[in-house]
Formats: sequence, structure tokens, C-alpha cells
Amino acid sequence: MTTLALYSNKGGVGKTTAAVNLSYLAAQTGAKTLICDLDPQSSATYYFRVKPKLKSGAKGFIKGGKQVYKSVKGTDYENLDLLPADFSLRNLDVTFDKMKRSKIRLKKILYPFKCEYNLIILDCPVTIGILAENIFNAVDYTLVPLIPTTLSVRTHRQLLSFCKKKKYDVGKIYTFFSMVDRHKKMHLELMTRVVREFNGVLKSLIPYLAQIEKMGIHREPVAVYSPGSVASKSYQNLWDKIQESILYPNREGSHQ
Amino acid sequence: MLNHLKYKLPDGYEEQRFIRKLADQYAIKKEPAIAEHFTIYDTFDWRLFNKSLVLYGSGNKLFLRKLAKSEIMQSIEISPLPVFIWEFPDSELKNQLAPIIKMRALLELVDVHSRSIPYRILNPDEKTVARLAYEEIRPSRNKDEPALAAYLWLKPVKGYPKYLRNLAKQIEEAGLTVSEKDDIYFKALEVVDKKPGSYSAKVNIQLDPAMRSDEATKIILRFLLQVMRINEANIEKELDTEFLHDFRVAIRRTRSALSQIKYVFPTETTDRFKKNFAFVGKLSNELRDLDVYLLNEDTYKAMLPPVLQDDIDPLFDYLRKKRSTALHSVIRGLKTKKYAKILKDWEVFLNEPHQDSKLAVNAELPIIDLARKRIYKKYQGVVKTGNQILENAEDKMLHVLRIECKKLRYLMEFFSSLFLPKKINILIEQLKILQDNLGDFNDLCIQGEYLLNITKELPATHQQAKKTLVAIGSLIGTLDQERQRNKDAFAKIFTDFASAANKKLFQELFASQTQGDVT
Repeated sequence: MTTLALYSNKGGVGKTTAAVNLSYLAAQTGAKTLICDLDPQSSATYYFRVKPKLKSGAKGFIKGGKQVYKSVKGTDYENLDLLPADFSLRNLDVTFDKMKRSKIRLKKILYPFKCEYNLIILDCPVTIGILAENIFNAVDYTLVPLIPTTLSVRTHRQLLSFCKKKKYDVGKIYTFFSMVDRHKKMHLELMTRVVREFNGVLKSLIPYLAQIEKMGIHREPVAVYSPGSVASKSYQNLWDKIQESILYPNREGSHQ
Repeated sequence: MLNHLKYKLPDGYEEQRFIRKLADQYAIKKEPAIAEHFTIYDTFDWRLFNKSLVLYGSGNKLFLRKLAKSEIMQSIEISPLPVFIWEFPDSELKNQLAPIIKMRALLELVDVHSRSIPYRILNPDEKTVARLAYEEIRPSRNKDEPALAAYLWLKPVKGYPKYLRNLAKQIEEAGLTVSEKDDIYFKALEVVDKKPGSYSAKVNIQLDPAMRSDEATKIILRFLLQVMRINEANIEKELDTEFLHDFRVAIRRTRSALSQIKYVFPTETTDRFKKNFAFVGKLSNELRDLDVYLLNEDTYKAMLPPVLQDDIDPLFDYLRKKRSTALHSVIRGLKTKKYAKILKDWEVFLNEPHQDSKLAVNAELPIIDLARKRIYKKYQGVVKTGNQILENAEDKMLHVLRIECKKLRYLMEFFSSLFLPKKINILIEQLKILQDNLGDFNDLCIQGEYLLNITKELPATHQQAKKTLVAIGSLIGTLDQERQRNKDAFAKIFTDFASAANKKLFQELFASQTQGDVT
């Protein structure tokens, strides 16, 4: 069982679209997959056409156990379940902070799912507080979408120095380029620099495409409403790279 | 946990009408039809069926489920599909199947073709909240052929139990019922005229206690002849080693019945057939021995120190060559006129009406009396010989006791239908433990000796051959140690068998009611 967070301390970088598409692709390989929507904006939940509601709201969520388990919904796709978001999750940071062992609450909440699923993907809200630390403690790997812009790169540096200071293993943090515009010279230059500066940059990028933005209309993973498109292929490529470099680095015959 | 619900549809049921009716209340989306093709497997002697298991393959996948259940217990991806357990990759499926199918080949029983139309039930957000599927099952891909069965499946989507409950209610209101016990397995096999569980090498006959002994004996012998015939036809096909094994066991039982169920036929007849079946048995002695060595290849290898494990390979290559020659000789033997005549004569004799003869003094005796007498006498013989061994453990005597036990076991199996199954089975189980000990001891003696002799046959000119000899030597050593361990275990095992409790049960079943003069 592996837990993977789609995380960024910067908003609007393509976390949710990546989480939705990657969890779909994982489920398609036969892996029992759970996507947890931790973002009170509930975009991932919306994409899967599920009502953003947890049994007993954030209270039930924090308590963990049966209530959380009962909140899980099957998606339209084989092997893929969703733990929906709830608006009450907006105060998660503060709530965790007030609790004992405040940094491993999320790990405990997710623990019962570990037996049932091969892969758990967390779609995280923007945070760099206690919730972020809960995420780092709960997951095996963190995947950060990075738009090749100066500000994004700067935020990523902040994240890495935060993790180093708090002694989280930065070797478990991977990045991939998101919302890339190949026509922009700056994007191309920055990508070269990023690959040189940071470790764990996956050789895969998600272009900025209208096709991906249409997910909000279709409310389906890209591969469902637009199979074979550039958008669909770029997520497939990203998923292949995640398997090769993160999940099964020693497996033979993984896609190149 | 919500399970799939399966509804059996009556012949000619118009599922479309039902779906249209549902569409008044739910948004339903029809998906493209899915055609699948399954092959069901089992061993020749129905080992999986006997354990209520169904093994089936589709594409490069193999699935295991319980009979009359649709949930899959185990599955693996493998291509080509394996025939023997040792061809399976390490997996839960292998672990589960190994003790059941053992060395038997998995044979294709029947092909099943399924065509299903999936429907998704949607809520106002167009989210799937339940799934329906209409499935038709046919013996071939041909859609014009009548379906063996049609089902409506209701499949839950996690988190939407209300929809499931409502749909289930509607389906039941439409007159459909959940079919729990129904399994397509039976219908599919019926089409190809196969009866699950129809073959077993175990003696499976029903005798009437009052029956004449000669008639009862003939019933037993006819059953054994049938086992011979069924297996004889398959030896040549070389599907697995157990056709020959069952064939040989039937011959051995026949010989044992002829000598142990005494004086039910004229002596000259008994003597003639005893001689004939001794000849038939001998035809395949060498082949069975070789089969046993080759089946044990992995066990033998594991007995060797790792440095010698590969060096034993030339021995098994040599045995494989020998086996191939031995097989051809058996096939030739089974095609000779002499063999055909022996079996034909036997068949004629078994089907002839009983003839009174002065020499067959037990012929008219009720079988229950003869059965009791023979079993009890044999039991006493076993106990006597065993006690002698306890005083003086000679290898030769262990061999004698093994044969005695086998005769007792056969008698108990021939006549088991005459006694309370619960009671006689306890004794058979007890006897089995003793037989296993004696059987292993005998095998280890013979194997050590055989390996020693085979070294004379193996060409020993080059370096590799010398290493092979070293490996064989090491193996003989291990087998000898094992043999000694076995011998040491005998005393306890025999004492358990000869216990007062068992003695009482033997007396109760076989001794107390014996009346009159039974020879």
C-alpha cells in the first residue's frame, strides 16, 4: 500500500486535476485506489459528481474510524473510490493544532484504509501549517505540481527549506511541471534551471491545455471524455513516470 | 459490505421491457455489450468439484470461486494457462489448489460464452449510483443458439445503499427472485454430457447385507473392472500419471478381492483370474516406479545439499528416457490379444449368473457374515504380526505387515457400505495412519536399493557423471536416515492402532455377531 499526496503550498497549480486523472489511471491498472479530497473547495469531489459531504462533517472525520469509512463513495470507475470533501474541513489546520499529537492525526485517520486499498491519493488544499505536517507524516511520497514561473519556483524553495528545517525527508518529495506553455520562452528556460536545481523532478510535463480545463464541464477524468488526446497522453505519461521512478523503481519492463 | 445480487430470468423474459419500466423512475445509461469466454477446468477425478470449487480461465486470467457463489476467491494472470500445479507461479491460488489437485492434470471441461449489457443507474448529477447488467450465457459464441441461462445482475456502488435497496425492491416486485444456489457450472456441463463427480477411483458401491456372497463380490469386481476400463483408455493419452495409478490400484484390489473374499467362486476360476491379473499388474510395474521417482524429483533435490542439487539432474534425465520406453511398452502391452482376452473373459465371468459349485462353499452365504469374518480375521492377523515386530523389529516383517494391512484396508473398503459409516470410517482412518508409516518405510527401502542399482546403468565416464554419482550417494544416505526415523516411529503408531478402544470397535463391528460356520 502506498500513500501519495498531490500537494503544493501555492494555489491553482493543477493539484486537483492531477489527483483526479492519476487516481483514475491507477485504478485502471487494477489497483484498488482511494482518492481523498482534503480540500474544502471540494473540486475533486465535484469532478466525480459526488456531493461534498462527510458523515458528521469535520468532527466525524477527525474522530476517524467508522464515520470516515462510511463516508466513502464508489466512483463511476472500477477500483476507484472517493472520500469526499466537506466544507467543514476548512478549519482542519486549527482543529489539529488544538489536539494532542497534532501532527499525526491524519495518519491515524487514514490508517484503516491501508488494508483495503493499494494506493491512496490525497488531494490537498494549499497549506504550509499543521495540516501540511500531517500530510507529510501520513504519506509515503509527496508530489508537487510546479508551474515553471519565478514565483512558483520560489514557493517550492520555501517548501524544501521548511521540510529540511522540520526534518522531513525531502528525498520523498517529487515534482512535475504543470500548466506548461511551450510557447513561453520563460517556461522553457525555467524548466532547465529547475531540473538542475532540484532533485526528484519527474521527466514529464502537463501542458496548459483547454482540453484539461474542460474537465469542469465534463466532470470526468480527461482519459474518459477525450481518450487519445494530448491532455490524456500527458497524464498517462506522468502516471508512467510515477510508477517507474516512485512506486516501482525496481520493476522491469516499466514504460519508458 | 454489499454484495452483488443475481436474479435468474425465466425463459423468454423480456428484459428490455423491464429496463424501460425502470427508466420511468431512474436515468439509465446503456453501455456497450461485453462478450466474454470462459473455460472451466477440473481434474479427471473432479477434485475441485468435490471441494465445491470452480476454476475457470478467461484470456490470460485464471479465477477460483466457490460453487454457487459469484465472488472470486483467488485470481492470477498467466499465459499459457497451466496444466499442472508446478507450472503455477507462487501465489495464493497455487497454495490453495496444491493440496487438492496434487499431481493431477487440469483438464478443460467446457467452454462458456457470456454476453452482457451493462446499464448504469444515474442520480440527478449523472453520477452512477448502481449498476445493472443483463447477462446471457451460451455454450458457443453463436447468438442464435438458445441461451443456457439469463441473469439480471444488480451491482452496488459504495456509498449509495438507498438506490440499491429501492432497485432490489422494484426487481423483486417485477417477480424476479435472487438465485443463490443456481450455478451455470451445472448447465454448461450438462450440454457437453459431463456429470460432476461421476468418476472416483474410490470403491463406491452399495451392498445389501443379505445378498449372496458371490453376487456381492461380483458387484465389487464389476466396479473395479469399470475403473480399469476408464483409466486404461487414458493411459496412452499421457495426460498425467494418475490414470495408470488408478488402473493399477483397481488391478491390485481385484487380486486382493479374489484372494481375500474366500471360496465364493470355484477355486480353479479364482486361481485362473488371480494368475491373469498378476500378469496384467506386472505389465506396468516399471512405469509406475519411474513415475514415482519423477514425481518426487523436487523432494529428492531438496534432500541434497545445495552444492549437489544440480548434479542429480542427469539421473532424472536418464529416468525420463527410461520412462518414455516403459510407457511405450505398457501401451503395447495393453494392446496385445492376451490382455484383451484376459479382460474379456473376466467381463463375461462377472456378468454370468451364479453357478453353484461344491468348491465355492461361501457362495450362498449372506455377504454380511463373510465380510465380518474376513475383516476380523485379517485384523487379528495384523495385530499378531505387529506385536511380533514390537519384540523384534525385522525389516522383512514390516514388509509382511504392510501387505497384511493393505489386504485389511481393501476388505474394509469393499464392505464399508454394510457398516455404519461413522464407525467404520474411524477404523479406516486409524489404519491409514499405520499404513502411511509402513508404506513410507517400504518406499524408502526400495528407493535406496533402486538408486544403488541404477548407478550400474548410468554411463560413468566423464567428470559430470562422477558428480552425479556423488549426488546419488548423498541421496541414498539421506533416504536411509529417513528410513531409520520411520522405523523408530513404528512402535508408537502401531500401539495406537492396536489400542483397546480400536480393538473394542473392531469387535463390535465385526466379531460379536458372527454366527454359523464361515470358512
